[in-house]
Amino acid sequence: MKEFDDFNFSVDKYTKELTRECVGGSDLQQRKKEIEAYNEQTSATLKQTCKKNYMQFIQTAKEISHLESEMYQLSHILIEQRNILATMTDGKTSSHLKADSIEAESSAATEDVENSQATRAVKEMVQGFNGNLEGKTFLNEGALIELDANDYRPIQRVFFFLFNDVLIVCKVKHDKRLEFLTEFDPKKIAVINIKDLDGVKNAINIITPDGSKIYQSITAAGKSEWIEKLEDAFRFDQQKKPKKGQAPQPPNRSKQQQQQQQSQSKSATPEKLPEQSPTDTQPKSLEDETPEWLSTASEEIQTLVAQRHFEDAQSLIKRTQEFLSVAQHKKKLLQADVIEAKIKQQEQKLTNVLLQELSNSHNRNLQIALREVRRPLKILVEMGRSRQASTTLLKVCTVSLRVAQREARRNNAEISELFFCDLTQVACDFLSAFEQQPACVSALVVWCNAELQYFASQLIKHYLTKGTSLEAVAKCVERVRKPATKLTEIGLDISYHLEGLLRTTLESLIEESKQRLLDAVGRTEESWQPYNLQTKSNLKRLLLELDTLGIDIRGQTTGDTWLNLTQSTVVFIRQFLLLTEHCGCLGKGETLLQSLEHLLRDLFLAHHALKPPSDMSMDPNFVMKNKIFLVDNLLPIAIEKFRKTSGRQCETLRELHTKLSRQHGAPVPRQRSVYTTDVF
Amino acid sequence: MSKKPTAGPALHKVIMVGSGGVGKSALTLQFMYDEFVEDYEPTKADSYRKKVVLDGEEVQIDILDTAGQEDYAAIRDNYFRSGEGFLCVFSITDDESFQATQEFREQILRVKNDESIPFLLVGNKCDLNDKRKVPLNECQVRAQQWSVPYVETSAKTRENVDKVFFDLMREIRSRKTEDSKATSGRAKDRCKKRRLKCTLL
Repeated sequence: MKEFDDFNFSVDKYTKELTRECVGGSDLQQRKKEIEAYNEQTSATLKQTCKKNYMQFIQTAKEISHLESEMYQLSHILIEQRNILATMTDGKTSSHLKADSIEAESSAATEDVENSQATRAVKEMVQGFNGNLEGKTFLNEGALIELDANDYRPIQRVFFFLFNDVLIVCKVKHDKRLEFLTEFDPKKIAVINIKDLDGVKNAINIITPDGSKIYQSITAAGKSEWIEKLEDAFRFDQQKKPKKGQAPQPPNRSKQQQQQQQSQSKSATPEKLPEQSPTDTQPKSLEDETPEWLSTASEEIQTLVAQRHFEDAQSLIKRTQEFLSVAQHKKKLLQADVIEAKIKQQEQKLTNVLLQELSNSHNRNLQIALREVRRPLKILVEMGRSRQASTTLLKVCTVSLRVAQREARRNNAEISELFFCDLTQVACDFLSAFEQQPACVSALVVWCNAELQYFASQLIKHYLTKGTSLEAVAKCVERVRKPATKLTEIGLDISYHLEGLLRTTLESLIEESKQRLLDAVGRTEESWQPYNLQTKSNLKRLLLELDTLGIDIRGQTTGDTWLNLTQSTVVFIRQFLLLTEHCGCLGKGETLLQSLEHLLRDLFLAHHALKPPSDMSMDPNFVMKNKIFLVDNLLPIAIEKFRKTSGRQCETLRELHTKLSRQHGAPVPRQRSVYTTDVF
Repeated sequence: MSKKPTAGPALHKVIMVGSGGVGKSALTLQFMYDEFVEDYEPTKADSYRKKVVLDGEEVQIDILDTAGQEDYAAIRDNYFRSGEGFLCVFSITDDESFQATQEFREQILRVKNDESIPFLLVGNKCDLNDKRKVPLNECQVRAQQWSVPYVETSAKTRENVDKVFFDLMREIRSRKTEDSKATSGRAKDRCKKRRLKCTLL
């Protein structure tokens, strides 16, 4: 093997060496066969080895990813252990209080403060309320609009104070003071989320012992918050948390969602009565969150990524960021910057992992590939990485698309249909994923054009090669055009571009066929005798065949088996009509019209100008008859056929028709004399 | 936006009941929006309203989609009071949900105090027939006992989804016309019934 690598390695010399012992041709042949066999064997072993290697590689990669996730899990467990140990030592040496335990205490304290504040507010502001609020936990407060249960018109503005075991309903008076209306036990009321009610938004239905009432919140977030809080009140005792209304440990998702919704809906719905709210309607309990989950968030995210729980990782990142943006605002956290940096790092990492995931999902089958990318794609879009995601996705699609085309071509399957189906599929999936991003949509358009270019090049290379018959060309082009126009249904117009890509090739193919056909006409051997079909059935078959092409020559039959036209005329009729059909097909694209018309005209003229050789004796009238038949019968049918298939007028042929019929239109006897002089 | 609903189409109030996860919300959403929602998120109590054409007459249907979960059982009474007709849903792939229909039926009858309240027994998830745990005849027997119709539906394939809602609305409508025809008599009847029950208790 080493000699192959040698710098001075010469093929000739090596071959000579190999064949040195061989004597004579047969020996040499034998030797050659041996070498070939050896060659084949080697390549087979090579393939096998490659495959084995590849399988091994996949196996190992899997193993590694398993190990990796296990490592992460381990590290996660270790971190947990460390935290537990830390809190235990903290408990013993109370002088070393950690930041988050301070936080926890302060949150408990703020809660107490909040309770007393709310209690005081109720006492001071609500006229006519004498209930005792000591020892109750404040949960929520806010302004709502009471709606008429029948026609959903606003009745009055109300203000709710929700404590763990009482819901105080007050009326908002014109001087913005509150008047006590009624109170309910949260355990005796039922809350219904009104999702769809004739366009009334953000409404809830509260069924009380006094009947059901509809209240409307100003924002969607406010509504979901009320539903949440009323439920908290409903099951307050079940939760067995008499001290704290809000548990610090379970980071409640709903609150997070509310915040999201709030931020979304704030811009959507104008705040109608901010000044009417006597106190701040915003949830005040944000600082209740002990940042214990926050400090481990980075590790948590890492674990989630390793375990491929990407959605959870993403939502945790989001939550952390949102939390930080609020907390930083209030300067409550000491290590906020450190955590933020870590989270940012994790976010970057997640993005990379997802992009990797995305780019790895290319598959022979586009459908499978698209299904695989859906998940990472969705998360990436949510993370605001649409641009990167779209680029990667399109790369993946390119691979799938091209592989599929190649395979289809190898299996002699229909590549045009496949290509356009795939293109549509990609476009649809892409648009649904990136609807909101115009920049991505234009990336799709650019990508479509690039793929189209590749497709056209493939088409030209494999299906529109030199020497392809016009029939095959027409079929091929037809198969491309039809689905291309269909794509406009999803808003993609690529027909024009496609025509442009194929134009030069098609034109040269048309030119080439024209030459070929004209050559064939020149070689026609004409006997200038009526055509004898020999049997009745032959004649019948021929007539039927011409019928399907749209021409009836029954008028020319004489006797049982004769046609009063020459054989070459009949052949030409058939050929010309078939050609017209193909040309009409190709002529659907405007760009090719001219060369197609020229082809038909030149061919017709060439045949029309056929003259009997001077040394041949035949009836000049019969020659004339053939020509007149061509002009008067064949040409109008061909013109009509062309118009029908292409949807365009064939001006050149019409001109030709008027010109030739004028020639023939002259009195027949004189015309005949012209031809006779020609012949003799 | 004036006072149209008061003079507007008749309103039929339908309540979806049944254990958690049997597909009450899926049926509701399929009926409301023609879509099958696959991800499961337990409902608390959602209400929907839609205008539909019932036998050539425009009516409004109000659907209250309730929580199937056990922990909401206590407040169910409050919801049930407002209902005019009930779709009692269970999953044919879950025998427990079928057994639970008995409780729901009893609770409804207790709250409404009316044996002939419009009521349909609905076996959902009939597209999963290969995983069927509740034999068809058992369902039919129960429906017969209660003298209510039994229908199998699939929120996934939309099979019989419209049927159950429309059948129930028809029953509610005929109940209402019956009631208005014999208002006084009926009312007395019912008063009697209620009184009778009270004395029993």
